[in-house]
Amino acid sequence: MSDEFEATIEAKSLLKQQNPAVEALRRLLRHRSAQLGLFIIFVLVVLAIFAEQIAPYDPIKPIKTAKRRDVPCIHLLGCPADQEEHIMGVDGNSRDLFSRIIYGSRLSLQIGLTTITFAILVGGLLGAVAGFVGGWLDDVIMRSLDVLMAFPSLLLAIAIVSIFGPGLRNALLAIAIVQIPVYARVVRAGVLSVRELDYVTASRSMGASELRVLFTRVLPNALTPLIVQGTLGIATAILSAAALSFLGLGAEFPTPEWGLMLGEERNSVFNAPHLVFFPGFAIMLTVLSFNLLGDGLRDTLDPRLRGL
Amino acid sequence: MILSACVTPTQAPAAKPTDAPKATEAPKPTDVPVVAWAPMKQEVADCSYGGNVKGIEAVDELTVKITLCASDPAFLAKIAVPAFHILDKDYLDKTGGDAAKINEAPVGTGPYMLKEWVRGDHLTFVPNPNYWGEAPKNKEFILKWNKEAAARLLDLQSGNISGMDNLGTDDYAAVEADANLALYPRRFNNFLYLATNNQIKPYDDVRVRKAFAMAIDRQRIVDNYYPKGASPATQFVPPGVKPGFTDGFEAFKYDPEGAKALLTEAGFDFNQEYVLSYAERTRPYFPQPTKIAQEVQAQLAEIGVKIKLELMEWAAYLPATRNGEKGLFFLGWSEDFPDATNWYDVFLTGSSKSFGTPFPEIVEQIKIGATSADPAVRQAAYDKVNKLYAENVPVIVLANGVTSLAFNKDVKNVVIGPYNENFTQMETANGQLVFSQDGEPVSLYCADETDGSSFRACLQMYDTLYEFEFGSTALKPGLAEKCEANADGTVWTCTLRKNVKFSNGAALDANDVVASFVNMWDYKSPNRKGNTGVYQYWKDFFGPKALNEPAQ
Repeated sequence: MSDEFEATIEAKSLLKQQNPAVEALRRLLRHRSAQLGLFIIFVLVVLAIFAEQIAPYDPIKPIKTAKRRDVPCIHLLGCPADQEEHIMGVDGNSRDLFSRIIYGSRLSLQIGLTTITFAILVGGLLGAVAGFVGGWLDDVIMRSLDVLMAFPSLLLAIAIVSIFGPGLRNALLAIAIVQIPVYARVVRAGVLSVRELDYVTASRSMGASELRVLFTRVLPNALTPLIVQGTLGIATAILSAAALSFLGLGAEFPTPEWGLMLGEERNSVFNAPHLVFFPGFAIMLTVLSFNLLGDGLRDTLDPRLRGL
Repeated sequence: MILSACVTPTQAPAAKPTDAPKATEAPKPTDVPVVAWAPMKQEVADCSYGGNVKGIEAVDELTVKITLCASDPAFLAKIAVPAFHILDKDYLDKTGGDAAKINEAPVGTGPYMLKEWVRGDHLTFVPNPNYWGEAPKNKEFILKWNKEAAARLLDLQSGNISGMDNLGTDDYAAVEADANLALYPRRFNNFLYLATNNQIKPYDDVRVRKAFAMAIDRQRIVDNYYPKGASPATQFVPPGVKPGFTDGFEAFKYDPEGAKALLTEAGFDFNQEYVLSYAERTRPYFPQPTKIAQEVQAQLAEIGVKIKLELMEWAAYLPATRNGEKGLFFLGWSEDFPDATNWYDVFLTGSSKSFGTPFPEIVEQIKIGATSADPAVRQAAYDKVNKLYAENVPVIVLANGVTSLAFNKDVKNVVIGPYNENFTQMETANGQLVFSQDGEPVSLYCADETDGSSFRACLQMYDTLYEFEFGSTALKPGLAEKCEANADGTVWTCTLRKNVKFSNGAALDANDVVASFVNMWDYKSPNRKGNTGVYQYWKDFFGPKALNEPAQ
């Protein structure tokens, strides 16, 4: 049944010469893990945008009436009605954990998107120039990026944060810098394979400047792997930011950052497990969602996997 | 001008001690070629150098005389603090007083001697065969450390260690519920304070300091973040400091509205962000640094003050606060000996730059309190200080903490005092006692250390002239059989215990005491290398300045 269906779709698309982007999106939406990933990301985005409306309490202000480190109390699940409802319990500073987790999603998405945007812009540009120009410039850029890549990424991030001083902004910068070589390599590889193609030569022979060739002919056709890598990179970036915050080098107290919350309560695993579980679970879900989406994107965009 | 005279005994092999009194010492048999014992002496003409000690002198082999400029009622208690331990003079000469060398092979008179120090992991002590007192009841004492209270508890529960220091606030229930563990509370005077440096804006304005003091709900902090038994601080010293504490006096009432009004009156800039520094170092007075810091931040936010928390490394934090670089920060204090001078003199006389400049009228009253031996006179002076404290707010006291140790039930005969634990008397089934504390000792030359982690290790290996009884603040003779003061309390004469030997076999004599003390006192002492070379405890107790201290 489905094979037949797919076959007809292929046939139609061949006939109609559909826009490849729309085609890819359609294939993506049919991809199981991508569906799941997209769904979780959608929920996260909604939570992040409407954090003020959804969160029942201020994420930073202690609640005077709440008991510190109180276990979750959900009225629907039989918690007495005279008790205040705290879906995920109360944290070590008498704050509503649920509200903090929700505000944390805002931070995590911001962290993921900003660092990756930065890394893609810088890394992509470096890679494109290296691949397109070639020669000694290629060697200089790529070998210095190789040096950067030779360091364990978290260690390098810690080193960078130690130089700039702790704080979320510096942590983001560190994570972005660490990711630059990855994107440079991806883009360079794409550019190398595209720049010798006939249509590029054609464009050049028609008198297009090198810059124009790079930005309108080469780069757009080398972007596909970058999209996949970027999506997966968001997951890595969120995880790295959480790790840095956990180590006390990222977000500062009392920011509702998941890694920070996890680090602060790492000793509560036995006597107040909910304080560790929920932030940890939130990190896990977010990272998982971007990984799933990234996998789906790769499956749908990579021509070698197409039709498998 | 400082006049100093130092007799160096090593260079006088055959010469007879000329200026030593002949009375107490029996003449030595002259037919045996013995190297004559030359008494050491160090003295100055007066105390214009800025400290309270005028002379330290070996009168004879077993008698030491210490001369003060003004009487000091707490003298005996001060020299019982582990920083004042006695080292062998020859040993000091050999090591040059270098803490790094002393760490390698410490030599003391105490119940234990060091078998090994595995850096970053543990110290192993074995009984000192030359110990003059009651021999330890266990064959081996291992001192470990872990900065996480939860990790120490895990170690205890799994049987890796026999006992642990400073139980975490949230772990009390677990220990109480565990049939294999026993809880031993330690009650002693301590406080947590929010320090304001009055040389840094906006804390130069007394109204700002007072407003901050009024804006903090101490009861809430104590209820939430301290173990049971802690109390909110009502005035500068904790209630147990007597004379010192003024009964029924409360320096600040919790009044956020009043605080806000006071800040507005002072022209406080509510839009600016103010940095509050702290270090994540768990202490009996600071059980949950990050939580308490966030609570204070939230409470100050309620009166509209924006606080940015700055978490610092301990090693960088202490010097930064001492050098007066930080405007607002958390620190605390646990007393070393039961006397008010350990509070007022240490904090309010300006021996460090942490709080900016001291207040002359407070210093004046503290001097009266410190030099009088009459409790009524002292109390009257301290009553005035407490009032002046509330008016000037040199520092904002927050809470008086308590702490507990937890031991395995198998460990018998545990006695926990305010300043010590009776490790030598504790008994375990296999003769091995393992104790886990907060941190690794900095060095094993405690004359130049200030932290409890080092002091605990030093207490096992070294002795002081006087000691604190196990389990109380009472003093008992240690290496001294007795120390007596003259009528006006300025000259202390200590008679040393006979036949005391160091763990390397050297005999204890008066020169060892003089050498140990002069090394702390005099910057020109040849063996003054130490660890940092500051010897802070001497300055805190007999200062504020040491002898020949270079001007900064």
